[in-house]
Amino acid sequence: MSLYATEGGLPPIARRIFPIVAGLPLGPMLTLSLRSLARRRPVMFERLGEHRSVRYFIDPVDLAFAFTIVPDGMRSVVRVVRKEEAAESSVVVRGPLLMLLGLLDGTLDGDALFFNRVISVSGSTEAVLALRNTIEDAELLPADLLGLSGSLASAMNAGILGGLETLRRLTRPEQSREEA
Amino acid sequence: MRSKRIELVCPAGTPATLRAAVQAGADAVYCGFRDETNARNFPGLNFSTEEMAEGVRFAHAHGSKVLVAINTFGRVGSVDLWRKAADAAVGCGADAIIAADIAVLDHVARNHKQIRLHLSVQAAAATPESIGFYAETFGVRRVVLPRVLTIHEVATLNRAIHVETEAFVFGGLCVMTEGRCYLSSYATGKSPNLHGVCSPPEMVSYEEDIDGTVARLSGFTIDQYSPGAPVGYPTLCKGRFKAGDKTSYLFEDPVSLNAGSMIAGLSAAGVTALKIEGRQRGKGYVTEVVRTFRRAVDAVEQGSDTIEIDRILAGQSEGGRQTTGAYRKSWR
Repeated sequence: MSLYATEGGLPPIARRIFPIVAGLPLGPMLTLSLRSLARRRPVMFERLGEHRSVRYFIDPVDLAFAFTIVPDGMRSVVRVVRKEEAAESSVVVRGPLLMLLGLLDGTLDGDALFFNRVISVSGSTEAVLALRNTIEDAELLPADLLGLSGSLASAMNAGILGGLETLRRLTRPEQSREEA
Repeated sequence: MRSKRIELVCPAGTPATLRAAVQAGADAVYCGFRDETNARNFPGLNFSTEEMAEGVRFAHAHGSKVLVAINTFGRVGSVDLWRKAADAAVGCGADAIIAADIAVLDHVARNHKQIRLHLSVQAAAATPESIGFYAETFGVRRVVLPRVLTIHEVATLNRAIHVETEAFVFGGLCVMTEGRCYLSSYATGKSPNLHGVCSPPEMVSYEEDIDGTVARLSGFTIDQYSPGAPVGYPTLCKGRFKAGDKTSYLFEDPVSLNAGSMIAGLSAAGVTALKIEGRQRGKGYVTEVVRTFRRAVDAVEQGSDTIEIDRILAGQSEGGRQTTGAYRKSWR
């Protein structure tokens, strides 16, 4: 299935920033973050059942690179990979970065994005469904992924979620913004 | 038979959705364990025993009830799984068990007299005789009505029985006799009423070709979508097939039930509880639908005008289309 996304793409300024971010060791940082989450909330990963050992290929279409994620609790691994490596994964999820992040924090409904072709999915439908239901129940906030707590977590959640919402608003087609 | 305020019964596929339903105004939430004992046995969905107990605590703390669906049918040699699920539901402090299999009903009636038994829609009991049998034999207190009755038939039925009735008001419709789907069983080898899953996801695939997207179930083409057009989850009953030289939704149009405009009528017909379908749906769906129905039910109970429920919920309906289903049956 291919992507027909018309909204949610990163604005030009963010696209200019991301090559700098890409220079960071994103894979090891996200791996540590996911393992830290597994230490604090192990039950969350149990919901994936047998699909926790599946390799998910996550492709933000507005970035020059993609990720592979094996969400196996304390053995989780995240890697930054080239877009051409999708064939080696059981599941491929493609979509604009802001939309994919919206799925993670529960701001956006995965079913609606998929059925309306904002994101595309191919590969094992069973594994996709398990991941969707797990994320849906997890109610993740940015601070959960960063391992923060207390007032710092609240400030970080408000800042990141507020920033993402502003970016989404800016990337909506003009007509939608007027209706909103 | 109805004397109290009408009850709003809402779906929850995960603990987070249970909390969302309760906070949106559900009087009761129905959910199931993470196995074949309930009719929504999808990967990543449903509750462990610990999650169910916590969900019951949360619901009770907020004045809501939890009804546990153990509503598939046990198989020869494996009925223990269903018995254990019933025992676990009681142990979690659930307010009722929703069951269809007489083996499950019998087990609960004999061993857990303290818990209410609701007859699942999977039992498809729609006559005073069948409902009377379940009530007298197992002490069933409520019957979830199959989605085949007109509102007049619901009223007539309620006058002839001595148990509560629960009627679906929103969500997906099943063209078969409530889950007894031989189409799905034939195509996938799995039965909705035995394995708890219609169109099992491991047999679903989406493939792209030059004409668009093809959705298949177990190798059978269920539908084809032109490039960019919205896609759907492939179920055989809502597939588009060619018969003769005409391509159409052969069995059932992809529309959702919305009886929001009939709440007053269902109440007058003696219905005790209104049920929203959708345990496989996310928190966004549950929150919006429950909140809307909460407002509508409250408006009806206060004697004021009903809200514009059809317009509000159009976005949550399958294919964006809605029907009042058999309640306003016009084809007979």
